[in-house]
Amino acid sequence: MTKTGLAKTGMIDFRGVNKWFGSLNVLKDITLSVEPREVVVVCGPSGSGKSTLIRCVNGLEAIKNGDLVVDGQRLGDPATNMTQLRTEIGFVFQSFNLYPHKTALENVTLAPIHVRKIPRAEAEKAGRELLAKVGLADKVNAYPAQLSGGQQQRVAIARCLGMRPKIMLFDEPTSALDPEMISEVLDVMVAVAEEGMTMMVVTHEMGFARKVAQRVVFMDAGAIVESGTPDEFFSHPKTDRSRAFLSKILRH
Amino acid sequence: MLENFSFRTIVEYLPLFGQGLVTTVWLSALSFVGALIVGIVLCAMNLQRGWLFRAPAKAYIDAVRATPLLAQLYFLYFGLPRLGFVLPELVVGILALSLNSGAYIAEIIRAGILSIPRGQVEASVASGMTYVQRMRLVVLPQAFKVTIPPLLGQAIVLVKDSALLSLISVSELTRAGQLLASDRFMPAEGFLTIAAFYLLLYYGLKGLAGLSSRWLGTAGART
Repeated sequence: MTKTGLAKTGMIDFRGVNKWFGSLNVLKDITLSVEPREVVVVCGPSGSGKSTLIRCVNGLEAIKNGDLVVDGQRLGDPATNMTQLRTEIGFVFQSFNLYPHKTALENVTLAPIHVRKIPRAEAEKAGRELLAKVGLADKVNAYPAQLSGGQQQRVAIARCLGMRPKIMLFDEPTSALDPEMISEVLDVMVAVAEEGMTMMVVTHEMGFARKVAQRVVFMDAGAIVESGTPDEFFSHPKTDRSRAFLSKILRH
Repeated sequence: MLENFSFRTIVEYLPLFGQGLVTTVWLSALSFVGALIVGIVLCAMNLQRGWLFRAPAKAYIDAVRATPLLAQLYFLYFGLPRLGFVLPELVVGILALSLNSGAYIAEIIRAGILSIPRGQVEASVASGMTYVQRMRLVVLPQAFKVTIPPLLGQAIVLVKDSALLSLISVSELTRAGQLLASDRFMPAEGFLTIAAFYLLLYYGLKGLAGLSSRWLGTAGART
């Protein structure tokens, strides 16, 4: 995984990363390394900086200082081609962000055809297979507006997988969904994780975390407060803040 | 009162109205194409990050929107020759309408582009698209659909504004009405007739816009 000129790194390596929104220190001295094939769940109260954290990984947000190395390439380094790096990183949004003027299949094939330069026929074959994999073989020609939230999010995941990424980032992928649709999306995410994808997932779905995450990272006020295996974190939270947080989300 | 209204004179002048109508249609169409080009260029300048392109575009748009079209037309018609550019009145007319409407169209297109949700841009950025790819594949196709109704409105305004060209002796529709009014002292006949023709053009344009949005289909209705 290492490339010339850089010390041995994980797939995603935060080293003393800071970020401000105006005078607000939204990421405070973050140090975190995600190994290849590792699944890391990030949780914490709203406004704790967890979305900002993963949005930095593909450069949707820029960091202020510290080092962030992704797939051996340092972000912000003039030698790093961000457009190229982003093709290796899938990003799943809370609000899906499917292209409304494109069918499900076109959503999946658009970037492979135009960015990866894969021949159309080949991209469409792969696209159909991916849509079948997320359980939407019969929705290939449907437009996003004709799909439920859960279906849209599954198309969005297939759209990322179509690029054959090395890393997948999920920003609260089930928060905008009706409760009965959450499991169909989580099932797809579990399947992706089990295939060995490197994943960072911002979510409060503790069942998902227990099932596939190697590590849970708890953030509060822009800093990583606690990090450990799901079992450690859920059964024996070490800090008052994580205990308070867990008691709130587990009460219902 | 109505017995004084001479339909016969209107019929007699129909060929003149016909010629005027044809001139109004093609010079408006040409001006609209010109305005689209001006508008797209201005909008592209206006969306740049640096002020180098943005400042002149903004200044131009403000200047056009703040001054009367008649003053702009007179500047081009009377002013340009003084500066050494002598152009036929038709060319001056089309130029004036294109430059004027272009400023409004630039703002219409910009509003269309800015109406596309941020998430669309983020999704295309995250998939590794370049600026040009995300404009071409994601933003513009969606913005285009949003801009059709306001563009139609601007086209209607342009057709009506073309009446001002009668003041620099372009023989378009309003000019035909003026001729009937002055030759025969029949302003009611002259101006009511051109009003009817403008109404006809209005419905024609509306039909055209309806067709184009149906042609674009209901596919991709916004979620």
